[in-house]
Amino acid sequence: MRIPLQEDLDQLEAALQEEGSLVLRALRGCLNALAQSDVELADEVIAFDDEIDAAYLGIEEGIQSLLARQTPVAVDLRLVLAILHDNMHLERMADYCVTIAKLTKLVHDVPHDVTLIEGFEEMGARAEEMIRVALDSFRDRNAGRAESLVDLDELIDRANRRVVQHVLSLGADPDLREWGLRMIIVSRCLERIGDHAVDIGEQTAYLVSGEFREFTDASHGPGTTPRDL
Amino acid sequence: MSTPALVVGKRPRGDKVRGTLFYVLLLVSVSIGFVLLGTLVVDVIRKGVGYVDPVLFTEPTSTNPERAGAGPAILGTIYMMLLLLAVVVPLGVGTAIYLEEYANRERWYNRLLELNIQNLAAVPSIVYGILGLAFLVRGLGLGRVLLAGALILTLLVLPTVIVASREAIRAVPDSIRQGAYALGATQWQVVSRQVLPASIPGIATGSILALARAIGETAPLLLVGALTYVAVNPTLLGSFTALPVQIYQWVARPQEEFRLLAAAGIIVLLAILLTMNAFAIWLRNRYQKRW
Amino acid sequence: MPDMENAPAPVTIAGVRDRRVAERQQAEPPVHRDVLFDVDGLTASYSGVPALRDVSLEIYKNHITAFIGPSGCGKSTFIRCFNRMNDLIPTALVEGTIRYHGLDLYGPEVDSVEVRKRIGMVFQKPNPFPKSIYDNVAFGPRVLGWKDGLDDRVEQALRQAALWDEVKNRLKASAYSLSGGQQQRLCIARCLAVQPDVLLMDEPASALDPISTTAIEDLMHGLKEAYTIVIVTHNMQQAARVADMTAFFSVEVDEESDRRTGILVEYDETPTIFTNPGDKRTEDYVTGRFG
Repeated sequence: MRIPLQEDLDQLEAALQEEGSLVLRALRGCLNALAQSDVELADEVIAFDDEIDAAYLGIEEGIQSLLARQTPVAVDLRLVLAILHDNMHLERMADYCVTIAKLTKLVHDVPHDVTLIEGFEEMGARAEEMIRVALDSFRDRNAGRAESLVDLDELIDRANRRVVQHVLSLGADPDLREWGLRMIIVSRCLERIGDHAVDIGEQTAYLVSGEFREFTDASHGPGTTPRDL
Repeated sequence: MSTPALVVGKRPRGDKVRGTLFYVLLLVSVSIGFVLLGTLVVDVIRKGVGYVDPVLFTEPTSTNPERAGAGPAILGTIYMMLLLLAVVVPLGVGTAIYLEEYANRERWYNRLLELNIQNLAAVPSIVYGILGLAFLVRGLGLGRVLLAGALILTLLVLPTVIVASREAIRAVPDSIRQGAYALGATQWQVVSRQVLPASIPGIATGSILALARAIGETAPLLLVGALTYVAVNPTLLGSFTALPVQIYQWVARPQEEFRLLAAAGIIVLLAILLTMNAFAIWLRNRYQKRW
Repeated sequence: MPDMENAPAPVTIAGVRDRRVAERQQAEPPVHRDVLFDVDGLTASYSGVPALRDVSLEIYKNHITAFIGPSGCGKSTFIRCFNRMNDLIPTALVEGTIRYHGLDLYGPEVDSVEVRKRIGMVFQKPNPFPKSIYDNVAFGPRVLGWKDGLDDRVEQALRQAALWDEVKNRLKASAYSLSGGQQQRLCIARCLAVQPDVLLMDEPASALDPISTTAIEDLMHGLKEAYTIVIVTHNMQQAARVADMTAFFSVEVDEESDRRTGILVEYDETPTIFTNPGDKRTEDYVTGRFG
């Protein structure tokens, strides 16, 4: 049965889910800070990243120790590798939240466009949704649900493109233009969070099927739209 | 040719001939022993079977072959064997346990003891007889009694019992002792609860075979005074005779009938011997080593 | 479309405003371990030739500690010092001290039999006694004179050793009717029946198949809640899998006399030994570059 190995794996997976919930908190925090121009909350989000980094390092060390001691194979090995990747994706998401928080601080005293802020609320909610789907489908080993992340990502991508269009139409006010440019980065951060959620979904599919496969191919796929700006 | 190892007939012919020759030689030696033994047994049974009757088992010997039996002799033998067993087993097993479990080989006296026992096993039985006569019968003033005979047979087979018991004790794997020690058992507990129970089959087998040797001994008994004519059933401190002595005496008689009587005695002796050996084999199989 | 109504209400990030995170990171408490054995300057020799030299380390309560190293590094000699098994070898000599709960195990007032009651040992080859399953487990309690509730003791020990379900219907069967892995678990149960403090295991799985090995390892993992376990293993992976602490021993060859002596090279937490050992010799050994 290899009880020590199973215990270690269970612990790692629980830590990963825990890290995911921390990321969700950071994302919600930075979205709220952005919507309300709350500098103090933005600072909190930035500081909160230490906590996520600690979680990230904890999982990283756990994986190192597990690989060195337990020599997992087959599904156990795939689980460890998937956790290794997912851990990194979650940590990157948290970094994007920090970026959003920092941008919030930079623009808190310049005028901003209400329509766009509302748009971000919607984009952020989609990103949150995607993180939840990614984490849940990983926990449930549900490759089908994981693959549905591609569709969700498509929506975020479209929103991202609309943000760019909207910023271009903001007009000639220099303050508003600076704000708009920074918001393009915010938009991109949210879009990237979605991409990482898709990547987590791919790890789920790998864990279940044992095959490495990208859900969408950004460079060759027919009819796909570029995921990057 | 592609598989040279399998090519037939490559061995020199001489090898095969030598092999066959050796096999035939083995068969011949086996059959010599077998035929001799078989002849003896058949001859004895053919001659003696007519005399194996209640008279043989109950009556004392007599000048009249028709009324002569070996009652006191058979009883004497049985008494001696029981006495022998009662003395030789505790002594032999005790010595074996001491030598195997307690004695420190570094000590000179322990090595001397071991050497002594090995040599004793090779001493001719007549020498034991002389010892018995000098020490037991005259020295201790025991007289020519059954006890003296039993004791001298004890001395005779003691080395055999010790050696067999040592073998049996040594065959108990050390891992069992270590396992017992590791549970906090004392040396006494290890020996009494693990080593001894595990070596009982070997000790029993060895003891019975030693007994079988003692039962056929004549020479030392003659020296310590087994009489050839005893009319009464033997007692511990009375005069006695034994089955082999009785047979020896009958064979020496001139009358043909007594030789047939001797054959009957031999049949009884053989039967006792075979029974004891069979019992030893049964014991060994019953408690076969399981480690 | 994500439903905005169902999205969680905006949250503030608790625990950050007062910078508790930073404080938490600074104030990481040191790992607390209870020292059970304190070995200081231990040297073990046979016939005056040291097999292991100058070992000092601490064994922690409720931890699994593994001794690894190449053949002849003295790891088995070392583990036998903890329950004074070396006392059974007349030529063995142990110098230095092993303190157990602060008491010197080799002190003049300490009885080695008493030590072995508290510190159980499981051997390389399963060594059940040639008795029934029940009697194997009951041996220890009987030796210690614990007569009450023997059945319960036996059942509890067998349960702890994860063997009860497999043998509960044939407790009277010979221990030799069990498979190798079951026999080894029986030997563990036998140790547990005397309620020791410590389990010493000298390569407990080296004679077993992989499935049985896993069973033993899982068992150890469960037992460390209640016992302190010390294991010698030649299988590094096994040490990596089961041990909390790992000690690496190596052989030192004296150029002049060609004499080989075991030494302790490194002792640390198992993950450290297997991911970032402090000594080059340890790294060479665990990566397979040794020799």
